[in-house]
Amino acid sequence: MIELITQAFVALQASLFESVVQPVLFALGLTTYAELGFDAVEFFLYGVIEIALVWLLLRPLESLRPVERWADRRAVRVDVLYTLLNRLGLIPLLVFMLLAVPIGDLDGWLRLHDLIPGNLEDWLPVLRERPWLSFAAYLLIIDLNDYWRHRLQHRFDFWWALHSVHHSQRQMSFWSDSRNHLLDDLIQGVWMAAVSLLIGVPPAQFVLILLVTRAVENLSHANLRLGFGALGERLLVSTRFHRTHHAIGAGLKGRYRGCNFAVLFPLWDLLFGTARFDDAYAATGIGDQLQGADYGEGFWQQQTLGVKRLLAALAPSSSSHRTADDAYAAGCPQTVQAGSLPSWIARQSAASASNSNNRPSSDWPMPATSLSASAACMVPMMPVSGANTPITAQRTSSTSSPSGNRQ
Amino acid sequence: MHVKSMFVRLLIVVGLLFASVAPAGAEVAVVLNSADETVSLIDTNTYTEIQRYPVGKEPHHLMATTDDSHLIVASALSNELVMLDPVSGQIIRRVPKISDPYQIAFSPDKKWFVANSLRLDRVDIYNAADFSIAKRIPAPKAPSHLAFDRASQYVFVTLQDANQIMAIDLKTQSPAWTLPVGKTPAGIWMTPDDKYLLVGVMGSNYVEVIDWRARQSVKKIVTGDGAHNFQARGDGRQVFVSNRVDNSIAIVDQQTLTLVDKFPVPGGPDCMEVSRDGKQLWVTSRFIRQVQVVDLGTKKIVRSIAVGRSPHGVFFKTHAARQ
Repeated sequence: MIELITQAFVALQASLFESVVQPVLFALGLTTYAELGFDAVEFFLYGVIEIALVWLLLRPLESLRPVERWADRRAVRVDVLYTLLNRLGLIPLLVFMLLAVPIGDLDGWLRLHDLIPGNLEDWLPVLRERPWLSFAAYLLIIDLNDYWRHRLQHRFDFWWALHSVHHSQRQMSFWSDSRNHLLDDLIQGVWMAAVSLLIGVPPAQFVLILLVTRAVENLSHANLRLGFGALGERLLVSTRFHRTHHAIGAGLKGRYRGCNFAVLFPLWDLLFGTARFDDAYAATGIGDQLQGADYGEGFWQQQTLGVKRLLAALAPSSSSHRTADDAYAAGCPQTVQAGSLPSWIARQSAASASNSNNRPSSDWPMPATSLSASAACMVPMMPVSGANTPITAQRTSSTSSPSGNRQ
Repeated sequence: MHVKSMFVRLLIVVGLLFASVAPAGAEVAVVLNSADETVSLIDTNTYTEIQRYPVGKEPHHLMATTDDSHLIVASALSNELVMLDPVSGQIIRRVPKISDPYQIAFSPDKKWFVANSLRLDRVDIYNAADFSIAKRIPAPKAPSHLAFDRASQYVFVTLQDANQIMAIDLKTQSPAWTLPVGKTPAGIWMTPDDKYLLVGVMGSNYVEVIDWRARQSVKKIVTGDGAHNFQARGDGRQVFVSNRVDNSIAIVDQQTLTLVDKFPVPGGPDCMEVSRDGKQLWVTSRFIRQVQVVDLGTKKIVRSIAVGRSPHGVFFKTHAARQ
């Protein structure tokens, strides 16, 4: 069965490449990119299959056991676009085209000076002959790398200015995983290239690691009530675990400016003191959205606003921006494994109030509003439960009566 | 009865396992699955893949050492050479710190080992005796394949993205000259009379003939779209040319510099190997994960053997002469 599927895949890939991609490359005098084009076809097909499988599996589950019910799913559409652009290869191709030359130049320069980048196998030769062990090692290392990259996306204002595009989705679904600012994608490309230079990520295994990671990310973003159990949630990132990361106001909250940064394995959050295991399913978004902050609805609007936020963050007077989301009481613990949710919210509420004088004066990332309003916005971190309110109603109610938002 | 049957099956499985690890007496073809980072070993008598094992990141090309005692696999992203037993195909040892070896070759005088770094625009020259680095030479852009003159005065390199060939003087170990050729030159081959370089012009449909002493292009032999790589038939006269876009193999007469014949081979034919008796041509089909076995009497494919992703280099010890 697997052999038949493989044969069908190989035949389809070759057919697409030889009948569509290769003739175009040849006609344009770009035959030198034939292997790249062939790999791109494979990437594209994996994307098509992955999207189809995830849609077939997760969409019904989202309908059966949703965290939130939405009367209007328009806000999800842009995430579908992000997913198609990313999973079908356009954005990765753009990132590759931008980075291939400078990264290659750097690599070449290093080697010209006899600095040959290392491989993990140089230190662990046993990995050379044991593909599954090698896969596990690279998977762990790349996931650890993703954890720290994600933490820094929250840690640095300029990076958060871009990463907040991802967090601004208030109708989070399995489509939301690829919702990223293009510059964020580019930075992540640089980050991954640096890791590759350091440990020599094997291309063949990287594809598999990418597929596994993307599948788990689809699941972890799903609008789905699916508990993994106390142990399971500590082994693999669940929808609930990741939803806590996306909770309104959590993005910049606390000592670590967020919690539950892990992509695959909560192990990293447990090790580095950023884990939070809640029983509740949080409402998602960024705190200042409740005060009317606009992150855009369409693709280009989100991209443009992201650049504006980036410029504001890089401006000399932007030093206080980082605390903006702290005004929202909902968020993540400053230490690992906080107590009960109510007591934790109470603590955060008090901390939020004490931060009131540190609010930024500029209109980003939070519009100038009264503290009383923002303090009240801790409610979005409350568990999503009971009757589900359409998002349009939630939006209307959120500014006047935060307690009525979302659910 | 049931238990006995299972035991017998178990014995068969174990037997097959051992047989696949140690193909005693089998003639083995070695195929590099560049995108899988594996080597496929194929029994040339039964045309079956008997073993596939991990070898290193992006193994593209391979060749025997000058004494034929080892088969060298250039593992580009692992920055190493992997030495195999050319008969059994098993790993003997690894040579580390070889920067991004893509295409590799020894100079005819056996003094130098040259490795092209296609990705990083450089040609590295090593001492053949111990693989210590002698010189790293920038070679923009995309140095692909290489060939030598008989006196080992020059190594000639195709610069795939510069549409040139570069001659590197092996005495001074510095570029001597460059010459414009057709679009996206890939394979390069010295004719047995040491007079001409044949260049596979992959961005077009011909082999360009270069009089390297006069440093000029003298002829174009139309072989097929995506003219890519060369392999000698072993008779001192004919050379095979793989046309990757045209999905064909052309036969070129190295004396008359004319096209002799052409036959189809599917899936992006790339590297080739010829049996010592001259009866078979083995070709890797990059895009369909297969190795094709062509009967050179009929010019028909007699076997298609499934291997790993993006099979590239192919070798067996009892190959035809390299001229």
